[in-house]
Amino acid sequence: MLALSRALNALALLGICGVLLAAFYWQLARGELPCPLCLLQRAALLGAGLGFMLNVRFGSSESHYGVVIVSALVGAAVAARQVLLHIVPGTGSHGSALLGWHFYTWALVAFFLIALFAGALLFIQAQFAEGVSDWRPTPTAQVLGWLFVLIVLGNAVSTLLECGFGPCPDNPTGYELLQK
Amino acid sequence: MISLPMAVPFVVLVLAAIVAMVGFRRTAVWIWFLALAVTVYVLQSHITDPLKIAL
Repeated sequence: MLALSRALNALALLGICGVLLAAFYWQLARGELPCPLCLLQRAALLGAGLGFMLNVRFGSSESHYGVVIVSALVGAAVAARQVLLHIVPGTGSHGSALLGWHFYTWALVAFFLIALFAGALLFIQAQFAEGVSDWRPTPTAQVLGWLFVLIVLGNAVSTLLECGFGPCPDNPTGYELLQK
Repeated sequence: MISLPMAVPFVVLVLAAIVAMVGFRRTAVWIWFLALAVTVYVLQSHITDPLKIAL
């Protein structure tokens, strides 16, 4: 069961990295700049990823799962806010759709699933027996952790370029810092 | 109210992730708390945007 929880945490971290890389693809290759609420959903997703990364790097702890669940709840609140903005017919939408749903709708589902997944993993009691202090991260865990750091850094740089040193425009059309 | 740059939560999260990877677990969790607080603060400053509908 210990190996299973390790594998599932690594898989969850990999999944979050995949989602964030896909978001980068849409941003860079398709030119769809993320709106302020989209950026906040990314930040919440990074927070959830940080929780899984802590489990992968240090071993499982209840507080790490707390990081995942609280981040997912904040992300779900932001995504729900954006869904509600567009729920009334005729109020338009933001960005393109994937398989019929817009990204903020997918984000709401994803945050719900992340919280559910983390909650389910908490039932694996064996993962907490080893303790975080005795943990030796595997080379794979190290690589995965640093990949996540790079993705977080990429998001920070991208947001800084897009929004500059002030609040982000409601409907960004270009990179603020690159236009000056 | 002071509106924070949107990049601030991301910068704090970068710090948390790096601190975690170099081995400071509890510090990383505290920095995450800070990032969470900043994210919620930034959210409230974007709560009224032109796309808002009358509820």
